[in-house]
Amino acid sequence: MILSTNNPNFRIFMQIGTCVLLILFLNIPLYASSAAFPIRGTVLDINGEPLIGVSVTEKGVNNATSTDNNGQFSLEVANENSILVFSYLGFSELEVSINGRATLNVTLIEDTQALEEVVVIGYGTQSRRNISGSITNVSEEDFNQGVNRTATDLLQGKVAGLTITKGSGDITNEQTIRLRGTSSLTGSSQPFVVIDGVPGLSMNSVAPQDIESISILKDASAAAIYGSRAASGVILITTKKGIESRPMIEYEGYAAVDRVANIPKVLSADQWRDYTSSHDINTEGIDRGANTSWFDEIMRTGVSQSHSLSMSGGGKSSTYRGSFSALDQQGVVRDNSMERYNGRLMFSQRALDDRLNLTFVGAITERNFSPTDTRNFVLAYNMVPVAPVKNDDGTWFDTQEYDQGNPLRNITYNKRDNKNSLFYGNIKADFNITEDFVAGISLLKQRESNDYGEYNDSQTERGRNDQGFAKRETWTADKRLLEATLNYKKIFDEHNFNFLAGYSYEDNYYQKNGAQNRQFVTDFFDYDNLGAGENLRPSDVWSEANMNKLISFFGRVNYVLQDRYTLTASIRRDGSSKFGANHKWGTFPAVSAAWILKEEGFLKDKDFFSDLKLRAGYGVSGNQAGFDPYRSLQLYGKSGQYYDDGKWYNAYQISQNANPNLKWEETSMFNVGIDYSILNNRLSGTIEYYSKETNDLLYTYKVSVPPYLYSDMLANVGSMTNKGIELVINGDIIRKDELVWNASFNLAHNKNRITSLSNDQFTTNSIKTGSAWIRGGSDNTTHIVEEGREVGTFYGWRFISLDSDGKYILDEMVDGKEGLTDEDRTYIGSAQPKLTYGFSSNLSYKNFDFGFFLRGVYGNDLLNFSRMSYATTQWLPGANVLEDALTNGLTDNPKYSSYYIEKGSFLRLDNATLAYNFDTGDVWGIRKFRVYVTGQNLFTITNYTGLDPEVQMSGLDPGVEGREYYPKTRTFSVGVNLSF
Amino acid sequence: MKRSKIYLITTIILSSLVFNGCTNLDEEVYDKLPVGEFGGTEKEINALIAPIYRTLKGVFPSNFFLLSECSSDMAITPTRKGGDWWDGGQYKELRLHTWTPNTVIPRNAYNSAFTSITSCNKIFSLINENENIENKEQILAEIRGVRAYWYYLLLDNFGNVPIVTDFSDTQLPTTKSRKEVYDFVLKELNEIKDVVRDDVTSASYGKVTKGFVYTLLGKMYLNAMVWNPDGGAKWQETVDACNVVMTLPYILEPNWKDNFSVQNQTSQEVIFPIIYSTADGGNGLPQRTLHYLDPIALGLNIGANNGLSAMPGYVKAFDDDDKRKLGSFLIGPMTDPATGQTLITAHNRPLIHTVDIDMKYNIDGDGWGQTEQEDGARAAKWEFEKGLNGDSENDFAIFRLADVYLMKAEALVRMGVDNVEATRLVNEIRKRAFDDPSKLKTNVTLEDIYQERRFEFAWEGTTRQDMIRFGKFLDPIPGWKKATAEKYLIFPIPTTALDANPSLTQNPGY
Repeated sequence: MILSTNNPNFRIFMQIGTCVLLILFLNIPLYASSAAFPIRGTVLDINGEPLIGVSVTEKGVNNATSTDNNGQFSLEVANENSILVFSYLGFSELEVSINGRATLNVTLIEDTQALEEVVVIGYGTQSRRNISGSITNVSEEDFNQGVNRTATDLLQGKVAGLTITKGSGDITNEQTIRLRGTSSLTGSSQPFVVIDGVPGLSMNSVAPQDIESISILKDASAAAIYGSRAASGVILITTKKGIESRPMIEYEGYAAVDRVANIPKVLSADQWRDYTSSHDINTEGIDRGANTSWFDEIMRTGVSQSHSLSMSGGGKSSTYRGSFSALDQQGVVRDNSMERYNGRLMFSQRALDDRLNLTFVGAITERNFSPTDTRNFVLAYNMVPVAPVKNDDGTWFDTQEYDQGNPLRNITYNKRDNKNSLFYGNIKADFNITEDFVAGISLLKQRESNDYGEYNDSQTERGRNDQGFAKRETWTADKRLLEATLNYKKIFDEHNFNFLAGYSYEDNYYQKNGAQNRQFVTDFFDYDNLGAGENLRPSDVWSEANMNKLISFFGRVNYVLQDRYTLTASIRRDGSSKFGANHKWGTFPAVSAAWILKEEGFLKDKDFFSDLKLRAGYGVSGNQAGFDPYRSLQLYGKSGQYYDDGKWYNAYQISQNANPNLKWEETSMFNVGIDYSILNNRLSGTIEYYSKETNDLLYTYKVSVPPYLYSDMLANVGSMTNKGIELVINGDIIRKDELVWNASFNLAHNKNRITSLSNDQFTTNSIKTGSAWIRGGSDNTTHIVEEGREVGTFYGWRFISLDSDGKYILDEMVDGKEGLTDEDRTYIGSAQPKLTYGFSSNLSYKNFDFGFFLRGVYGNDLLNFSRMSYATTQWLPGANVLEDALTNGLTDNPKYSSYYIEKGSFLRLDNATLAYNFDTGDVWGIRKFRVYVTGQNLFTITNYTGLDPEVQMSGLDPGVEGREYYPKTRTFSVGVNLSF
Repeated sequence: MKRSKIYLITTIILSSLVFNGCTNLDEEVYDKLPVGEFGGTEKEINALIAPIYRTLKGVFPSNFFLLSECSSDMAITPTRKGGDWWDGGQYKELRLHTWTPNTVIPRNAYNSAFTSITSCNKIFSLINENENIENKEQILAEIRGVRAYWYYLLLDNFGNVPIVTDFSDTQLPTTKSRKEVYDFVLKELNEIKDVVRDDVTSASYGKVTKGFVYTLLGKMYLNAMVWNPDGGAKWQETVDACNVVMTLPYILEPNWKDNFSVQNQTSQEVIFPIIYSTADGGNGLPQRTLHYLDPIALGLNIGANNGLSAMPGYVKAFDDDDKRKLGSFLIGPMTDPATGQTLITAHNRPLIHTVDIDMKYNIDGDGWGQTEQEDGARAAKWEFEKGLNGDSENDFAIFRLADVYLMKAEALVRMGVDNVEATRLVNEIRKRAFDDPSKLKTNVTLEDIYQERRFEFAWEGTTRQDMIRFGKFLDPIPGWKKATAEKYLIFPIPTTALDANPSLTQNPGY
């Protein structure tokens, strides 16, 4: 339906595509006659790797170009005796006389005095030297080792200011990524992902083994070119490419075992019996003589393996790379697993005298995965250790006590299966209209679909009330994207200009349908025969669909003077269909400048500094991830049923408060930084300060009913700031032939502050949020969002001590009056760390190399929710409790207070890898043969008493280890890298 | 030169294409209906009116029900051993009369009332503006009837609240006095009483009818001395309103339990029900009241939460011969049908529901403590459907004819006229409850009628209003609560409402 040409959007899409292509081709003959003496060639380093962005200048004339992604260049020079100057930062300059040759292959030698790199930026690349925004580039050699599921895993802890948190041990869970703090109240602060220049793709669509480098655009001056989606930062992923005349086959593989690092310390059967007998509790009927550790029963050693094979290379005017990866992973909970297959093919070919470069990319990701049913953790906490898994006659033991049931029976018979496919095709054409003027177009079609099946067996805790419950749900998300760019660069004298103009059109269609049924005569069908259920209700079938469009215009000017002063300015105008009628379009400008102080006379001869650069930038970007389509409109939705004369009919009702003013959240950020390199490049790094302010925060604010129909309304109201400092030190400590030692340290501090929650239309003093739901503790909130405070502030009663009866003594004088009331609640902690840091070290000696990576946070608080839920003997004997209950003496009703807030600082040995690189001596053409062992999450130093101090950090109630928390794992893996 | 010209043309073509062709950002809606494309046919109009009745599901067994039964001496949600149902002390506050503007249940009740009223106003304006409707006046009266019922609940529980009838009015409303609210409800009812449908048929079941409007009028007049004391007593008006209802073809169901059966929509005693279905969200009282293991004994497939129980004094006042005692309460041992043995709780005690509720653990300074899990008689008035999976189907009668009988009897006794008729009305009710004719009354007193209402309407959400009208609401309950201050006769306006609308005024004393 969507692909049919009757669809007006599709027609427009195709028309634009055709026209842009046409324009490109119409321009072909325009530039065919201005050649004098054409020369082309390739620039390589001593390893034969192509160098990208090498400046190629005709000596004495204002005529220059630079090498492309394959290290190739072409230039028309005045005559056959012209001299070409090759310069590339970090490499020694080279002058070559053409001497009548038509092609020239040049090898540049590294100048160890000045290390330099080309960095991927939004819609292009730039020499690291001239970058004026805040961009961190992490390349393959710095990636985390071991079991890595996505690009995010590769980066964890590596980038100052980029906090990646695994909130759970569930291998199907996505991590929370926060760049420079939380800048949204809606919980959607994930950075925007761009893969090989294609914006808005999923991190899952690329296997970690296919990634060459990742750039993180940290400040708005760098990210604003991505407009209304860039406020939480942008992650640019560059995949590996084939290299001309270098056919290569690579294999990477590993096998890994996962064990749970910590399980909850609930009472063992012995402890339970000691307690009940010493307290004269009659346990007849409850104690069934068993000795069960319910957590051990539902957990296992997870075994994983990953294989990745790639082939790459290229001919005279083409390159290719194809790869296939398979990952099979088992979680440590028995129902948790994932299989993933990634295929990727990239083919690039030049034509029309190398003026046209066409690149085709096809990528496919298939995942079969089963997330854990976290309900089973609750059951494992509550089930008494003296109850058996199975009765003596081999039947399952089960119980209907509150929050109880046999978790292993649940896991054995119940299913939660996802089959997810994601594929996209992307065609890019770059056409050199002149050598300085490049037009590009990129077309993308992506589809992701998911098929979910769930079955709760009629005999299990999950399914017993329904007498069997089956559900199927599928969804499909289609994305189409067209981007057209024009790039013009001009160098004259000391002036180097680079202009970019672009247009982007994107639409997204989403559709979903599902059905469920219950009461099955047999459990044979699982979720494969919904019709066999006997209790279908009107709300048991559903379908939905939505769409959104995003249209953008953007441009950028980059100006470099004397290779010393850089000025970059960009602007993007974004229009989104999701925005309300009154705010369809937003403009996002940015400007930044850099000054290479080292080039100035007063530093030029100072040996202490190998390099010194000062940069500053300011930009405005947006976030529109916080709302779904149609939120600005007044709509009728189906609203249950009504009864009329013996029959039921569907009722319809206005489904939301319409808000035609709805728009993006807007973040403006100021960034200033110093890049330094001292002591002959032995020590280098960055110091940065940023200040960002986010306005028009989206939130479902409380409004008065009446006049509004509903008490919640999504609106742009509040504002908040994030200010911080980031520090990076890279040490090149030992640099000998056989012994090399590098280390890197990064440190970041961020301070979040909510500055306003009100405007002239909405007034909110504070939002009390987060549910402290425990047994007997409904309607409590854990956190507060309030002007002048930071997101993640814990709010509750202040605990003083326990009295002799084991009752809480809580500070009741906060409001100045005796008696404990809600007004005595106060600020009792903050989930936001004061510092986050990482330290990595790589030591190589002869053929060995050893690397380790430490990561930590300092100065945050956590809510130990499982202690609040289970650390009381009051649930004994019929439900199990934590060991802590035996000693804490608590007897009171459940109350949330600072008693359960703990310090969350930790230092973790995240990764340690020992590898051996064989001397292949080109035997059978083998270039590289490396074997390694890796341990992940080896130890954690912390005072936190719960399972793991690293918990979910998203949303407005971060920093809580819930009672359904999936514990983290410790992983050991053995791997091989082979290339030939 | 030539080249740059072409570039210029290229740019113009490109930009014109882009600007004209593809800057359209309208949203295409697929799974919802844009307002304006609905409401043209009778079916669509019925679908639009329906939400006014769906709002009533928020009354029982929800917040207004809890406000009535748990703040009066009818019911309690005790804190169980270990702390179940402590929930921040909100149920204790209802029991001890120590609630505040932050207490959850009054807040939720207030919000549900205004959400429902605003829905009514919105639907009123949609219908009012719709050109395609023939019997518009009657439909509008129907909507006003439901709205009046919500205002009646607010009048009873919160007293001073804003009155909003026009959805297009976007001003933040201001508080109106209880008298103004009383007058408003009365005016609305009087304006619609002869417009609404007057049939008593299966088609009128669950709809605003003449029977409903006059019963509500009767309630207004019966409580006039509480809600609008300056207006004086309205006993005769009460009798008149009840008489209108009694001329309509409602009957007292000979079998009292038929009012509470799973298929109780056939009861001809019901004047105005909330209609429930398992499929569409229903009556969740069994989940709220039953012990975790009770469903095993009763053959239900539901997860129960062991909350609501009856106050011991309320149950003990019943005559053991009164069929309504065991018809209202679940008392005694609960047996596992598989073994024939009494079920055993997690505290290793037999699951026997006692009438007494004994607070014996973790006693606070205010006397509140934890009880055993199994303590307390549970709500068993509505038939438990065997094999029930989810909410129950049993409809809840907001008004039924027995109430009208007792309202009229009360008004007659209060006026001091026609005790014979009052006694007859009470005995009509008692006849169903007792096999023994000697249990009938000969000369009813006001106290008899008060007690009779308690026997007849346990769990039916009338106790608080009755206790206030009989002047007993603030009295101490020995062993449970002290005498409490007059401000507790109405609930406070919730803090959240005052925050969202600074034009509101808090009730006196809070």
